[in-house]
Amino acid sequence: MKKKLSLLDIYSVAVYGIKSRKGRSIMTSIGIGIGIAAIVAVIGISASGKADLIATLESLGTNLIKASPTSGFFGTQDDLPEGVLGMVERIGPVEEVTSTSQTNLLVRRSNFISELEGGGISVIVTNPELLDVVGGSLVEGRFIETGLSNLPVATLGSVTAKRLGINNLDIATKILINNEWFGVIGIVEKLSIHPDLDRSVFIGYSVAKELFDIDSEPSTIYLRANPTYVEDVVDVLAPTMNPENPDQVEVSRPSDALEAQQAAEDAFTSLLLGLGSVALLVGGVAIANVMVMSVLERRMEIGVRRSIGATRSEIRTQFLLESVLLAGFGGLVGVLLGAGITIIYTRYADIIFSIPVWQVFGAIVLALVIGALAGLYPAIRASKVQPAEAVRS
Amino acid sequence: MNKSNTVISLQSVSKTYEGPPPVRAINKVSIEIQDKEFVAIVGESGSGKTTLLNIIGLLDGVSGGKVYIDGEDTTKLSDDELSKLRGEKIGFIFQSFFLLPGLTALENVAEGLLYQGVDRKGRLEEATKVLKQVGLEDRMGHLPKELSGGQQQRVAIARALVQNPSYILADEPTGNLDRESGLNILRILKELNKEGKTVIMITHNKEHAKAFDRTITLTDGEAFL
Repeated sequence: MKKKLSLLDIYSVAVYGIKSRKGRSIMTSIGIGIGIAAIVAVIGISASGKADLIATLESLGTNLIKASPTSGFFGTQDDLPEGVLGMVERIGPVEEVTSTSQTNLLVRRSNFISELEGGGISVIVTNPELLDVVGGSLVEGRFIETGLSNLPVATLGSVTAKRLGINNLDIATKILINNEWFGVIGIVEKLSIHPDLDRSVFIGYSVAKELFDIDSEPSTIYLRANPTYVEDVVDVLAPTMNPENPDQVEVSRPSDALEAQQAAEDAFTSLLLGLGSVALLVGGVAIANVMVMSVLERRMEIGVRRSIGATRSEIRTQFLLESVLLAGFGGLVGVLLGAGITIIYTRYADIIFSIPVWQVFGAIVLALVIGALAGLYPAIRASKVQPAEAVRS
Repeated sequence: MNKSNTVISLQSVSKTYEGPPPVRAINKVSIEIQDKEFVAIVGESGSGKTTLLNIIGLLDGVSGGKVYIDGEDTTKLSDDELSKLRGEKIGFIFQSFFLLPGLTALENVAEGLLYQGVDRKGRLEEATKVLKQVGLEDRMGHLPKELSGGQQQRVAIARALVQNPSYILADEPTGNLDRESGLNILRILKELNKEGKTVIMITHNKEHAKAFDRTITLTDGEAFL
């Protein structure tokens, strides 16, 4: 039996083919590289988003429940019935509960700003417990604590602070609510699952009653339930809050909204993955094309190798490995590029960077498989070249 | 195989290339090559010289007849067995050298042992020895494009020799060379023959043909001994 080529020898023969056409080899690999980069980046960004979501959910908990009146036909909201807070507190698994009241008060930075330009920021009348219940924290300063409820002071949501141009509280700052000046005493950290609160100004119930004659009837209830019974609490919340018309109470879990958002992003991710796969397919066809051309151009080499003892299977293996190496190189570059894109995106979006190792491994394996499939036909063709025809000068 | 020192024997060998139209390149050729013989194949262009050499060298199959090498009927061998036989017993030299352009002279010669299961170190050692034998010890690291035609052909001879073949088949190895280089190549082949190699060479050069023990003339695919 003829001795077989060692793996090192097969590798060196395949590398010779690639090295002798460097420019073309690099160009060929780029197709696969782009496809793999697209796939890795899409999966990486998606995985990073999920990791960030999980981190957010872990920090905020999934047992937070929000209840508010349903919107009417014209977008108006009914009030919740009187004494609703007490009714909710009596539900067994409810651990913490607080409420807020939505107002129509106008917020401006100063009286030099027209009243017409002050929209987009809500004033929410709140209890001191709100921040704890929603799992929020302060960038700096204080929330509307007990004892501050009757003072004209306000704490700002993160978006509100940005919109009003208040980045810190190094100097005493005031804002105008309707025509009353309120001292800013704190800025709340961004609340990922409560974008409505981020766009709000918080003031106490007593001062709201005194200055604006606003009643303490809540428009929104926030509560934390025992995690084991969250679903049960969700089920009984609306009938408890409004036994006559439970359908007029909208109950939601903010974490559901985040998960739904993630599901929507997943669908988009699938679409992008599909596009990445098309790029890979095109890359594979490009490799097959180049390898077929290579077989035609290298008939002399094939003839010489056959004349010095190469078998058909050795020629086939050489061309197949060349194709696999081209795709593998493209895949490796693609993985690095995709990881780079993911890093840049996660830094830009300020989310956790995460790329599963299986994904990197899988992407390279995918590239190798595509290389093998793309190289199969050219390799078979190379092995069928008749040595006598190949060396005919 | 009648004679005891006959090493290559063609018996009524024909070769027809499928057309259309079909072309009969070799027509019932029967020749015998003796051990350590120095044989020239001559003939007009298109007479079937290269086809005959390729059949002897197992690069091409036959349409009819038998080809014996060292007493073995090669027409019954599989493609892999033919590859093995080529690698072990036959060294080819081509008119256009056919060196791999991306490899140095040394690497080109070492490539001759690649398919014999010799490791890289062993290949390079053998290649170095053979390159010295053909007088190219100072050109080992050069690429083919950095060598003259005569030097490239000597590298090609070294590649054929490194396999230590019993038979050297050369297809007009001097055809692309000037007179001086051509004579030098002929001298090297004669030396190899003296050292015990059987050499079969195609040539158009009548001056060169005189140097051979025997000349086989092909006319329209038929051999005249």
